[in-house]
Amino acid sequence: MSAPSGTFQERVDKALGNAQLKVALERTTGNARRKRAAAVEAWPDFVAARAAAAAIKDHSIAHMAYYLEMFERNALASGAQVHWARDPDEACKIVVDICKAANARTVTRSKSMLGEEIGLPHALAGAGIRRVETDLAEHIIQLAGETPSHIIWPAAHRTREDVAKLFDEHHREKPTAHDVVSMVGSARKELREDFFAADVGISGANFLCADTGAICTITNEGNAELTTTPPRVHIVTAGIEKIVASTEHALQLTRLLVRSATGADLTQYTTFHCGPKRPGDLDGPDQFHIVLVDHGRTEMLTEMPEMLRCLRCGACLNHCVVYRAIGGHAYGGAYPGPMGSVLTPVFDGLEQTRDLPNACTLNGQCRQVCPVDIPLPTMLRHWREQSWRAGYEPKTLRAAIRLWAFFAARPRLYQLAQAVALPAMRLFAKGGWISSLPLASGWTAARDLPKPPGESFLTSIRKGGTP
Amino acid sequence: MSARNDIFAAIRKARPEVAAPTSIASEAQACSQAMKRTLPPLDASDLVGLFTARVSAEKVGATVERVARLTDLPGAVARYVATNALAPDFALQPDPRLQQLAWQDAPGAELRPGAPLRRDTALAVGLALGGIAETGSLIFHSGAEAPTLYGFLPLHHLVALDAQTLMPLLEDYAVFASGLPVPRNVNLVTGASGTTDIEGVLARGAHGPGNLHIVIFN
Repeated sequence: MSAPSGTFQERVDKALGNAQLKVALERTTGNARRKRAAAVEAWPDFVAARAAAAAIKDHSIAHMAYYLEMFERNALASGAQVHWARDPDEACKIVVDICKAANARTVTRSKSMLGEEIGLPHALAGAGIRRVETDLAEHIIQLAGETPSHIIWPAAHRTREDVAKLFDEHHREKPTAHDVVSMVGSARKELREDFFAADVGISGANFLCADTGAICTITNEGNAELTTTPPRVHIVTAGIEKIVASTEHALQLTRLLVRSATGADLTQYTTFHCGPKRPGDLDGPDQFHIVLVDHGRTEMLTEMPEMLRCLRCGACLNHCVVYRAIGGHAYGGAYPGPMGSVLTPVFDGLEQTRDLPNACTLNGQCRQVCPVDIPLPTMLRHWREQSWRAGYEPKTLRAAIRLWAFFAARPRLYQLAQAVALPAMRLFAKGGWISSLPLASGWTAARDLPKPPGESFLTSIRKGGTP
Repeated sequence: MSARNDIFAAIRKARPEVAAPTSIASEAQACSQAMKRTLPPLDASDLVGLFTARVSAEKVGATVERVARLTDLPGAVARYVATNALAPDFALQPDPRLQQLAWQDAPGAELRPGAPLRRDTALAVGLALGGIAETGSLIFHSGAEAPTLYGFLPLHHLVALDAQTLMPLLEDYAVFASGLPVPRNVNLVTGASGTTDIEGVLARGAHGPGNLHIVIFN
C-alpha cells in the first residue's frame, strides 16, 4: 500500500492531468449529490433537523468525560475490554499486541477511517499479520495497492473499467462479466473464505453509546457483521468524539448521516455490538476489545469543538468543487476534502499541511450540506490566519500579497493598475478565453481564464451603464 | 500517567464544568425531543401499509407478502422456494416458534428445515423481533434463538414479522429496547445487502443476502 507522495502542488498537477480521474469522481460524487438532494427534499424541516443534530453532538461533547466514563463502565460490564490510546503509535501497538496474543495470522477489517488515520494497515503489515479488507471499495484499493480517496467511497477514483482489470488480475475466480453486478458477485466469492479463516476481525465505530456500552456500525454490504462475528476476537478502533449519550441519540444522528452520505433513509445494516459471546450464543467473538483514541481530539475541544461533531458522511467532499477536480489522494492525508483540510493540520501539523486550507474557494457549499452544520469555511480561514501569523507562507507569496494589499489600500492606484491590466489581459485572449498568461501559468496550466471585460465594474457603474 | 488518565485530564481541563447527572439527563432528553419535532409527518394509523411501502421501495429493495397467521409461514416459504427455484433444504433460525411449525405440511414443496447454516447457504428463514415503519427496518436481537449470522450468510433471507410488533419511528425502537436486556448484537436490517462502491451504482448481494423477503403475519 503506497500513500500519496510528492508535494501538494505535485499531487494536484498529477490529478488535474488525469482525465480518467475526473470521469470516476464525477460518476460517484454526481450520484451521491443527486441522491442526497432527493432525500433532503423529502424532509421539509431538514434545516431544523441539522440544528437539532448539531445540538445532540454538542451535548455529548460538552459532557464528554461524563459520557466516556459511563460508556466504559457499561462496556466493561458487558465483558468488553476497553483500552485508551493518546496517539496513533499507542493505538496501533494495542491492536497489534491483541492480535499477537491471539496468535492471529489473518485479520479481516471492515472500513474504518480511524484505522486509516492511525496507520493501522501499515502497523499490521509491520507485524507480519495478513490483512484482508472486506468492504468492496477497500478490497479494490487493497488490490491496487492504494489508500482510500474518499471517506465513504474509498475507490471513488477508480472507474468500473479499472475495477474489472484488477479483479481479472487478482481474483481466484475471475468475474463472469464486467458489469457492476457481476464484479460485486466476484468479490463476494473471493472474500467469503477469508471471513471464516480470520482469527481477528477489526471494525471502526460510527457511535459509542454511553447508555449501553455498545458500539454502532453502519454499513450496506453486510461485511462488518461477517468481519466481527466469526473470528475469535473483535477489535474496535474509535475516536473518542464518537461518544453519544444514548442509543436514541445514535439513531437520530443516523437519520441525517445516512441521508447525507448515500441518500438512503437508513443504511442496510445498523448494528450495535455489545461485548463478547454470551452463554448460549451460537456465534460471536470470545473477546471484544475497544480501543479509544485521542490523537488531537482533546485539543480540538478548545480549538475547534464544532469539528468534533463530524459524522464522517462525506457530503462536504461530494459538493466541494476542489475535491471534485483533484480527488482525495491529492490531499495527502487520511481525510480529504473540506473536513480533511480542517482535520489534517490537527493530526500532521499546520506547517506541513498549510496548503490544504488554501485549496478552497470558500464558496460555502460544504457548510450548507453538512448534516451537523460545522462552519467549515470559518475553520479553513482560521487555519489560513494561523499559517500567516506563524510565517509558514513562502516569501514570494507573502511579498505578492503585501503588494496586492498596497494597491488595495489605495483605491485610485488600484483603479489605475486595473485600467492598465484589463486591456493588456484582453490581448492574450482567443475566442473569449485566455489559455496562457505571463506570471499566471500556475492558473492557466490546468484551466483557462475568461476574457475580462474592457473596463472594470466600478468604471462602468460610474458611466451609468450596465456592468 | 496512563493514557486513560491523560485523556480524561485533558478533557476536564478543556471542559472543567461539572453538571449534575439529572440535569445532563434532562438536557439529553430535550435534545431528543427537539429532533423529533423536525421529523416529517408520519401516518401511524396504518403501520403495515407504511412499512410495506418503505421496504419495497426501490432504494430498500425487499419483497413483502401478507399472511393471516404465523402458521401460514411454511406455505409462504414453499411458494418462495418454488418461485426462486431453490432447493427445499434451508437453514431455520433456532426460535421455538419457528421450529414448531408444520413444515412437512406445506403444500407444493417438500420443505426440509434445519439444514446447518453454512457459508454458501442459499436460504435462511427467520423471525424478526419487530419492525420500524419509518425506515422499513427489521429488528433482531442476537441470542441463543437468534444467532447473528442467519441474517448475513444466506443468499436469500426470508423473515417472518408479526404486524403487532411494528413501531412507527426509530425513537420508538429506542424506548422499546430500553426495557429489554442489552443483547450482544442489535441488528436493524433495512433491505437486502447492497453496495454503491463502484461508481456509486447500486448492486445487490454484496456480502449479505442479495434477496430479502418479508412475510407479515397477524
